[in-house]
Amino acid sequence: MTLAMFRVMALELWRDRGALVMAFFLPPLVFLIFSAVFSGTTGENIKLRIAVADVAHTETSRRLMAAMQADPNLRAEAVTPQTLEEVRRQVKSSEADAGLVIRADPGAEGSPIVILADPSRAVAAPLVQARTQQVMAKAMPDILLGRTVRDIGPALGDLTADQTANLKEAEKEARDDAAQGKPTDAESSMFVRDDVVGAKKGGGTIVYYAGAVTVLFALFSAMHGALTLIDERRSGIADRIMAGRAGMGPVVTGKFLFLALQAVVQASAIFATASIVYGTPLLPHIGLWCVTTAAAAICSGGLALGLVSVCRTRDQAQMLSTFVILVLAAIGGSMVPRFLMPPWLQAVGWVTPHAWVIDAYQGVLWRDEGINTLYKAWLVLGLTGAIGLMVAQITTRYARR
Amino acid sequence: MTPDPESPILQVQQAVHAYGGNTVLRGVDLTIRAGEIYALLGPNGAGKTTLIRAICGRLKPSGGQVRLAGGDPHSEPRVRACLGLAPQELALYPHLTVRENLEVFASLSGLRAAEVGPAVDAAMAVTRTADRAHVPVRHLSGGYQRRVNIAAAVLHHPRLLILDEPTVGVDMNAREAVDGVIRDLADQGVAVLLITHDLEQAGGLATRVGFLSEGQKVLEGEPAQLIAEAFGERMEVLVQVGADLTPYDEARLADLGLHRSRSGGAWSCLVEDGYGAAARLDKALKGAGLSVREIRVRQPSLQNLFSLISEDRRAA
Repeated sequence: MTLAMFRVMALELWRDRGALVMAFFLPPLVFLIFSAVFSGTTGENIKLRIAVADVAHTETSRRLMAAMQADPNLRAEAVTPQTLEEVRRQVKSSEADAGLVIRADPGAEGSPIVILADPSRAVAAPLVQARTQQVMAKAMPDILLGRTVRDIGPALGDLTADQTANLKEAEKEARDDAAQGKPTDAESSMFVRDDVVGAKKGGGTIVYYAGAVTVLFALFSAMHGALTLIDERRSGIADRIMAGRAGMGPVVTGKFLFLALQAVVQASAIFATASIVYGTPLLPHIGLWCVTTAAAAICSGGLALGLVSVCRTRDQAQMLSTFVILVLAAIGGSMVPRFLMPPWLQAVGWVTPHAWVIDAYQGVLWRDEGINTLYKAWLVLGLTGAIGLMVAQITTRYARR
Repeated sequence: MTPDPESPILQVQQAVHAYGGNTVLRGVDLTIRAGEIYALLGPNGAGKTTLIRAICGRLKPSGGQVRLAGGDPHSEPRVRACLGLAPQELALYPHLTVRENLEVFASLSGLRAAEVGPAVDAAMAVTRTADRAHVPVRHLSGGYQRRVNIAAAVLHHPRLLILDEPTVGVDMNAREAVDGVIRDLADQGVAVLLITHDLEQAGGLATRVGFLSEGQKVLEGEPAQLIAEAFGERMEVLVQVGADLTPYDEARLADLGLHRSRSGGAWSCLVEDGYGAAARLDKALKGAGLSVREIRVRQPSLQNLFSLISEDRRAA
């Protein structure tokens, strides 16, 4: 009996090509879009578009302009005309993320460089400043050396003739090294960067969005599939079945199994895409991934059936479905990363399955967590699904048209 | 054990039920035997749906009892295996073919895998739908859809088949085809409980009819016998007059003893001397300047009986 209902659901989906595309091709596509968009928000792939103007017109300023335009981490574009006003206009009209004006020789005293940024993009100014310093350290170490010596000059007193000669020599060596592409002393700093878990570029965000899109579509498809409970009630199919010996129990169970399997296939498609396109380490963690996916599938199938079963009409169910899909996804982190949310909203997010699913997948594929940590998410998801399924089983038994 | 053909498959005794403070069944009795076609008639709100729900075990009457094949369908799920229900709506999956639908409902009715194929073939044969076995239900004509709706209810060889408005929305040819299927099933020994507003169908098909009104069974018996008892030798005279009747014209028709029919297009009366009365009416109507398009004389039907009962209930 259960398999008969499973077959009905499978045939209905197979013959509805639109729903088929929505169920299995759209999730990987949406994942690719989300991951392409949001993998940059963590700073890994940010390439700011900077409007640059050189109003100093010195040899050093020209070197800085050329170095910035050549830097692969920036999109520095010289404005025409080369004026402060033009740079300001481009920033104000959002043609550029930020602006940079070389108003005096970079090797001269004072503040020869002006950075212009829109306050609504607060992160742009420090990023431009940091990138410019990196560019100068790499391409113009001699200028930085000269500025440093000049800055500390008041503390050291006047340089001797030998010291001045040594400085000139050091500046020349630094310039030659930079010209030959050798690493310069100015590039080294007091900071050493150590990427955790030997991370691949953007890996954490990729896993985050693979989980986020998985739970989003699992619930979306499950709610859509669970609406057949209402259709069956309305069309008299439920009456026909309930007049028989078995009642609606096997029908609900068959639907649950189908919805859960559908979610597993969706998750497989999304994570296979993540593995192929972004190198997400799926195979080394396949066991824990399977359990997490099963828990997410049980949760989405059971929750959808439970919610739809308490609705009397299709309109009610569709309204509830929209609410659940959109609001839970927004709070749970399927739309915007949870770490960007205020702390209270992050705390509220734990009432959604989305947060648990995303956290569990990140635990498996990013933080290398084991069963002793993941069991809590599995329990929450499994119990949520089981309660939803139980509600559906009880409610459909007493359902009336 | 072979069931005794004489023992009733369904016995409802003094069924009483209320929703909130509203009593919808007031001591209903109903007995149906194998091979019998019983038409349950009554206006909307008479209690038919509640009675069907009680027979299907969906609710337990607050008073009286329902016995299906000797058991209680509410508390003993096994006795519901004797029951097949074809709801008023097309209770089928529209994207699935006829065969796929029947295979699904055969499995859901509890048949084993090996029994499904033969049961589907038998159901398609008795409902004459085998020639559309591989057509999705949504692409079938209304008549075929109705027959598949019945086929899905007889897969497990029920002893009682409940048909809720089995011909609603189908044309005359399709209705005759459905009627043929119902007769064949009754000939095979299936007890059929037919719920319908189509009194013509009930009169032509049913071996017995029962009128339900305000939760009570007000009349029961063989259609011809009930009509004879109610109307004796009287005949029904039907008069079709022009469409543009003034209130004055309507008053004159009423003075001649005519009543507007339920469909509103004709006027009728029940008289002892049918053909003689028709001739006198024709003369009187023409004399009154009314244009008569048609006058017919016919035996009273269940429709007349139904109207009579309704009027009596209203008068009471």
